[in-house]
Amino acid sequence: MKRIAYLLLALVALTGVLVYMAHAAGRSDAEAEPIFGIKIPPGYRDWKLISVAHEEGNLNDLRALLGNDTAIKAYRDGKLPFPDGTIIARLAWSYVPSEENNKAFGRAQSFVAGPVTNVQFMVKDSKKYAATGGWGFAQFKDGKPDASAALKTCFPCHEPAKARDFVFTNYAP
Amino acid sequence: MRRFTFFLTAVATLAGLVILIAPDPGRADGQPAPFVTEIPHGYRDWRWISSAHEAGKLNSLGAVLGNDIAFNAWRDGKLPFPDGSIIAALHYRNVPSDENNKVFGQAQSFVPGPPTNVQFMVKDSTKYAATGGWGFGHFADGKPGDATFMKTCFPCHEKTKATDLVFTRYAP
Repeated sequence: MKRIAYLLLALVALTGVLVYMAHAAGRSDAEAEPIFGIKIPPGYRDWKLISVAHEEGNLNDLRALLGNDTAIKAYRDGKLPFPDGTIIARLAWSYVPSEENNKAFGRAQSFVAGPVTNVQFMVKDSKKYAATGGWGFAQFKDGKPDASAALKTCFPCHEPAKARDFVFTNYAP
Repeated sequence: MRRFTFFLTAVATLAGLVILIAPDPGRADGQPAPFVTEIPHGYRDWRWISSAHEAGKLNSLGAVLGNDIAFNAWRDGKLPFPDGSIIAALHYRNVPSDENNKVFGQAQSFVPGPPTNVQFMVKDSTKYAATGGWGFGHFADGKPGDATFMKTCFPCHEKTKATDLVFTRYAP
C-alpha cells in the first residue's frame, strides 16, 4: 500500500513537471527574432483584414494580410509612407483542396487554408530600422522565430515596392 | 407654376402608390423564405475567419469575416452559431499580380481583383426558421440578388448540416 502511495506521488510530481515544461514551451512565442528584435505582436489574429492572396509554385499557400489599427487607417486613407507604429501581419497556410466543398459544388474547384506554414510581420519604426527602409521584418514558425540568415532576403525583395513604401499588398475594398 | 406643382404632387402620389403595390421581395407569392435584403453595417471591420479560392467558373479569391458573435463562436468551437451571428463572404476576381510575379521572377502570385459580390449569413432562428435559422444575402454592386437566385443558397448550405450550414472553418 505504501509503495502504491509512493508511486502515485511520483506520478503526480512527474505530471507537474511535464505540465510546467509544456507550458514553458507554449510561451516560446515571447521570443524575439534575432535580426530585428521583433516579438510576435500580441493579439494580431484579431486585427482587421487588409487582403488575401494565393501563391503557387514552391510556396503553394493561401494567405491573409492583417493590419493593426495604424496600418488599416493608413491603408484606408491612402497615406504613404506608413506611420511609425504600423504593423502588418502576413499569415499563411498550405493551399489544400476542400473535399467537403467540392462535394457540395459537385466538382473539384474549392481550395482552402490547410495547416499553418508561418507568420511574418513588418514593423514600421523609421529610426530603429532606418537601414531597411524603416521596416523591421520577422518570421515565426510554430511560435518560434526564424533565426536563419534568410531574413536578410526580406528587404532586398521588398525594395522593388519602394513606391508603395516597400509593401506589396494593396487594400481589398 | 401652379400646373407644375399639381404635376409634382401627382407624380409623388403615383410613386407612393407604386411603392405600396410593389410586393416586398421577401414576401412574394407563396410566402417564400425571407432572405437578407440589407447589407449589415460595418462588416468590413469584422475579424477575419479564413480565405478560400474557388477555381473554375467562379475564379474567385475570397475572405470570410465574422461579427463578434460569429467570430467568438468559431474560436470557441461552439455550434450551433447563436442568434445574432453574421458571417460575411467577400469575393473578388482571382487575378495574377504582375508586380509580385516580377519580384518573384516567376508567375505564381494571385491577388484580389475587382470585387464580384459580398454574401452574408445572418442567424435568427425565429425569422429564418424555414432555412435552418440562417438568412442568406447576396449583393453585387450593393444590389441584392433576386428571389430566384436566393432560393439556391439554402439547399447547397444544407449539405453541411453538421457544422450548422457553414462551410468555412476558422484558420488559426
